Parts: sequence; C-alpha cells; structure tokens
Amino acid sequence: MNGHNLLNPRRISIAAFSFSFAYLLSFLFEGQVLYGLLEMYGINASAYILAAIIAHFVGLLTCGLFARSREAAKSMMLGGMGLCLVATIPFFFAPSYLWLGGLIISAYFSGCTVAAWGFFLRAFTPKNERFKSCADVLIYSNLLMIAVNVVAMNHSPFIGLSLAMLCLVIGIAFIWMLPVGQENELNKIFENKTHGSIKNPLLLLCLFVFIITINSGLMYQVINPAFEHLTGLVSWYWAVPYIVALAIMRNLPVKAKRSRILYIGMAMIIGAFISFMLLGRNTFDYLIVDTLMLGACGIFDLFWWSILGEMLDYSDNPAQTFGIGLSANVFGVLCGGVLGIAVTSIGLPSAEIAVIALTVVCVTLVMLPPLNNQLVLLLKNHVYLAAYENMSQAQQTDIVSQIKTLDPLTVREQEVLQLILSGKSNREIAGDLLISESTVKTHVRNIFSKYDVGSRAELISILLKYQRVE
Amino acid sequence: MKLIRKRRNGYALLFAASICLAVWFGVASMLEAVFVFGAVSFISLLLLVRQSRLLYDATLIWDNRILVVSFALISMPDRQIKKDTEETVVSTFGILIGSEIYRWGLNGLHGVRLHTADFDQERMYLTFGDSAQTTRVELLHGITQKQTVLYAAQKLLRETGVKADITGW
Repeated sequence: MNGHNLLNPRRISIAAFSFSFAYLLSFLFEGQVLYGLLEMYGINASAYILAAIIAHFVGLLTCGLFARSREAAKSMMLGGMGLCLVATIPFFFAPSYLWLGGLIISAYFSGCTVAAWGFFLRAFTPKNERFKSCADVLIYSNLLMIAVNVVAMNHSPFIGLSLAMLCLVIGIAFIWMLPVGQENELNKIFENKTHGSIKNPLLLLCLFVFIITINSGLMYQVINPAFEHLTGLVSWYWAVPYIVALAIMRNLPVKAKRSRILYIGMAMIIGAFISFMLLGRNTFDYLIVDTLMLGACGIFDLFWWSILGEMLDYSDNPAQTFGIGLSANVFGVLCGGVLGIAVTSIGLPSAEIAVIALTVVCVTLVMLPPLNNQLVLLLKNHVYLAAYENMSQAQQTDIVSQIKTLDPLTVREQEVLQLILSGKSNREIAGDLLISESTVKTHVRNIFSKYDVGSRAELISILLKYQRVE
Repeated sequence: MKLIRKRRNGYALLFAASICLAVWFGVASMLEAVFVFGAVSFISLLLLVRQSRLLYDATLIWDNRILVVSFALISMPDRQIKKDTEETVVSTFGILIGSEIYRWGLNGLHGVRLHTADFDQERMYLTFGDSAQTTRVELLHGITQKQTVLYAAQKLLRETGVKADITGW
C-alpha cells in the first residue's frame, strides 16, 4: 500500500473525526475524565453534565446555520476544536467558574465540529460505503476512549485529561489535512439537488433515535452507578461489547439481512433490563448486563448513523442534516438521563425501571416497520433517480411504457410523471408546465392511483424494479 | 365560484363571531349562551370546512378550464335539472355550473370519472360517474367554428384521456 492510499481523504476524515470524538466521549459527554475530576474535588456532577449535554445539543442543532460549505465546515471544525483545547485548560487548575464556562464552550463547539463532519462524510465516502466509515469512526473513537478511561480511572484524571487533549490535538492535525476541493463523482450529481422527500424520513429517524436513546440515558443514570464498585473492570470493559457489535455489523456479508439484527438488538435491550432486575451486582452480573446493553447500543447506533450518512445525499447542507440526526440522539440521552435521575431520586425499584425501559423498547418496536419502509423507499428512490437521469430520453420512455398501469395515463399525466422522475418537486413541475400546484397534486394523486402506489418513492421503487429486470 | 367564495367568507365570519361571543359569555358566566354559541361555532366550523373544500375544487376546475358555455341540462337517473347561468365551465377535473360542482378525475381510479364526450352542432354531451351512479350533462356550447370544436376535443383528450365524438360538422 503506498502513501497516497494510506492517507487518502476518506481515511484522513475518519482519523480526524475519531480523535476529536474520542475527546468528546472521554471528557465532555459523560466521560470518565470529567466524572473523575468532579469527584476528586467533591463537586456534584449533575449540573456540569447537564450543562455539557445541553450545550452539545445546541451545537449540533445550530452548526448548519454557520457551516454552509465544505470550506466553512473545515474552518468551523478547526476553530471549534481550537476553542475546545483552550477551554479545557482550566480543568488542570482548581475548580472555578471557568470550569462551567469552559465545559459549555467546549461542548457547544464539539457539537458544531461533529455536525460539520457531515460534509466530509458525504464528500469522501462513496454511497453505500458510509456505514463502514460510520462504524470505523465509532470503533476507533471508542477504543481511544477506553484507553483514556483506563488511565483516568486507574491512575489520575489529570493524565486522562492530558490524553484527551492529545486526542484533540491529533484530531486538529488531521482536520488541517482535510482537502476541501475534491468530491467523489456520484455526489456531484446530487449537489444542490433535493428531491423534496427527506423531511419525513428524517423526522421519523430522529423520533426513532430519540426514543431508542432514552434507554441509553437510563443506562447512564441507573445501570452504570449500580456497578460503580467494579472500577477496574468497568474502566475497560464498558465499551467493549459496543465495539464488538460494531465490528460484527461492519463486516457482515453484503447479503446479510441487517434489518433482522435490529430485532436481535431489541431482544438484547429487553434481556439487559430483565437481567438488571433479576441478577445481583457482582462481576458476572455486570458482564451479562453490559454485554447485552452495549451490544444493542452498537447495533442501533450503527443502524441510524449509517442511515443518516446515506441521507446526506439529499441535503443541501449535510452539516444541518447530520447535526439534526445526532441532536435527536443527544436529546434522547438528556431525557433518558433526567428520567434516570428522577427514578433514582425517588428510589424506584429495579423492576419498575425495567418496565419503563421495556415500554420504550415496545414503542421502538412499533416504529421499526414504518421507519424501515420509509427509509428503504427513500434510498431506492435515490439510487434510481441517479440512474434515471443518466439514461437517454428513449430509454426513459421505454422504461415508463413497460410498466403496466391499472388505467392508461393521459398525456398530461405522462408529462407530470416524466418531471417526477427527473426529481422535480410539485412546485417545480407546476412552474415548468405553467399550471397551479394544486393541479399538479391532483395529477400526481391520479398517477399514484393508476400505478397503485402510495407515494413518489414507491412509484420510483417500482420503476427501479423494472430497470433491474431489464 | 363567486357564490362559493361568498358563502365561505360568511361562514368564516360567523365562526369568528360565534367563538368571540362564546368566550365573552363564558367570561360573564352565562352558561346557556356559551352553550348556544359554542354549538353555533361548531356548526359554522363544519360548514366552513365543507365550503373551503368546495372552493378548492371549484378553483381547481376553474384553473383547468377547457370550455366555457352558457347553458346546461343535467340528467340523472331520477331527475332532470335545467341551468341557465353565466358561468358554466368544463374542465379537466369537472364542471362548474354557477355554484354547483360536478367533479371527476379528482380521486384517481376509484372516484368519479369522465366516460364519454360528444359534440354536435349545438350541444355537447358529457357522461361521468362511478360504479354506483352515472350522470349525463347536456351543454349548449355556442361554438360556430369547427376548428374551435376540434381544439376543445383535442384538449379534452390531452387532459382527461377521453376521445370526444364529433358529429354533424
């Protein structure tokens, strides 16, 4: 392997994100370094943790307002990480108001940095490979986090903090190396082109992520403290099942039905909370509960990270889309954490906590089929539109005419259909055909009825099927 | 369509007024009046929604007009209605006769659809319906030039997929 391959843009972007994210995981976002430092000075962690999570959430959500191009995203990442570095320095000194201020600033800008990476995930990782890049960044950052955690929990939080800052510095170096002028060819087709169908799937995905992550929040506040006495084991084993699950999912054969693994993940969460309810608090019990819980987290995290990665093609602003998706996760952790604090403070028995967690799982289970349906159709839609646009006019007409409708389309409906297939929105179609938008909507509804489909995505999916048969 | 719009605006006004009065009487603790005006606002809301839908359909028909005629005779299995109005519009999605609407092609395969269209020298005959009922409309088209009839028939075919039968020209 030559030097060019070793440091290609995709690998640089993965390295940049992994190191920056490792800093976030080990310090800002409920990291053991932060917990260690706060414990050392006898400070109540809740206010700091809450402030950091809220600031991080706001950073993820607002990054898209500032980072609107790849150049701006790179500047945002460099500036943000630089500010994080400066804002972390006060933690080497005695606690002061600078701690809270530094934490809020770092959490906000780390949120911006994470969201801005969406530009580079889209630019440097080809379509359908993004789940691998997502798995890579999650695996590497968690490995780095384990190393920092072990040092922070077993030696000194200050050494842990130094290592976290080292990760940050290395992350900045890799961000500096990120090219801003290249983009893979396929993405160019989609640049500045939205198909008007991302909103609903993204909202549904965010809702799914939010609900499933409530369990993670519960885990942080309820399960983790119950095994606090196993410091040595917890410091290194905690994220191991997560990494193993990510590695397995990443390397599954292409033909493997990943959707079925989601149901295994559900069963694992159910198993984790039931085990937590029935088992004791010794080493063996911890291994069972943590393996089930974090293994499931790995499965679900890769699922929604990769879906989010694929959705970036639809977005004019990947930082915004990526940030919104990730903020749903952080919001879920926040709500789950508040729920966890509430149930802990009122001394709810573990059986009732398990019931809450299982309710969350049930709601998630109900959401899975419609989510899967929406996403599969969206992605098929995307692949098809790319292929369709590259066909000649004759090939396009041929494919459309091959598909049997329940009733022939009128000339006007055929015109509307052609424009739908070229990815235009109702408003654009109305503009092109000089008719009102409500007229287009009525024609679209009639076309759907004649093809016996319920949405644009389903219609395009049918055409895709015919294209494959050809 | 003007009449539909007027009615819609009237219901909107009635709804707003009855809500305001219901709140006002509520503040004054006059429960009977609150009940009456609450019921009025509920009914006017229902009428408002219905009229708004009607206006939407009427606008859709008006926006996609193919032919404007002055006289219509509507035949249904059980009755026959004569309409002499200034505003009769044949469109891609139905006929607008004054404030009355006969829709087709708005709900895909399973809704009301236009079946046939015939032109003679004086009149135009349209048959439309669903599996339950068929309606026939006779319109005095007032066209004197064959070219205009051909143009209307061509537009009808393009928009609705129904080939008009032209006789006597």
